[in-house]
Amino acid sequence: MANQMTEMLKGTLEGIVLAIVAARPAYGYEITVRLREQLGFADIAEGTVYALLVRIEQRGFVDVEKVPSEKGPPRKVYSLNSAGRDQLGEFWRTWSFLAERIEQLHQGEN
Amino acid sequence: MMAKWIELVTGSLEQKKQYRQHKARMEALAEPYRGAAKALDRYLMYYAGVTDGDTLVTMMGDAVDLWERAAVDGTPVRAIVGDDPVAFAEDFARAYSGTQWIDKERARLVAAIEDAERGETR
Repeated sequence: MANQMTEMLKGTLEGIVLAIVAARPAYGYEITVRLREQLGFADIAEGTVYALLVRIEQRGFVDVEKVPSEKGPPRKVYSLNSAGRDQLGEFWRTWSFLAERIEQLHQGEN
Repeated sequence: MMAKWIELVTGSLEQKKQYRQHKARMEALAEPYRGAAKALDRYLMYYAGVTDGDTLVTMMGDAVDLWERAAVDGTPVRAIVGDDPVAFAEDFARAYSGTQWIDKERARLVAAIEDAERGETR
């Protein structure tokens, strides 16, 4: 079960993270905390979120600002840009389509 | 002139400098982060198959950033890599869209299928 969850989450995590930074700019750890505590994805590793942030940065969906922190290196704060908003819109359309079809299949079973 | 020629053969000197800086930052990490960082770095070099130096250096620098932050915050190593360190490393590597050795073969497969398709419609 845990494994199926991991596999299914993999395809949607990018959209979820885009939705999180769309709400307000955040740095990596804040995003991980929201995923764990507010959305209930308790097992998500910080590194997984970090790798995903690197990817959406490379693909140009977020703007990055380096903000000094009290201790240690500056934190990278991610905010959604217009390319990211387009991508997020696409994600929600795809998600709705999938969720609707799968729910139909599920209802048909009963 | 000589420097240019050397760069042609070995990659840019700037890249080498960055590579050495990243290595030094990795060595400067406290345990257990140093051990974890070096293990991840080693796996990334094998798995990522990145052939352009820029991507390699960027990937390495991002990984060092991650470990330095973890060390400062005292985040446990397991909280960084998760239950499956291999999956973590491979996800990490996939974030970089640099040139990979497999790209040439991918292009070759695509071209071969296009050739085969043309044969079909004759």
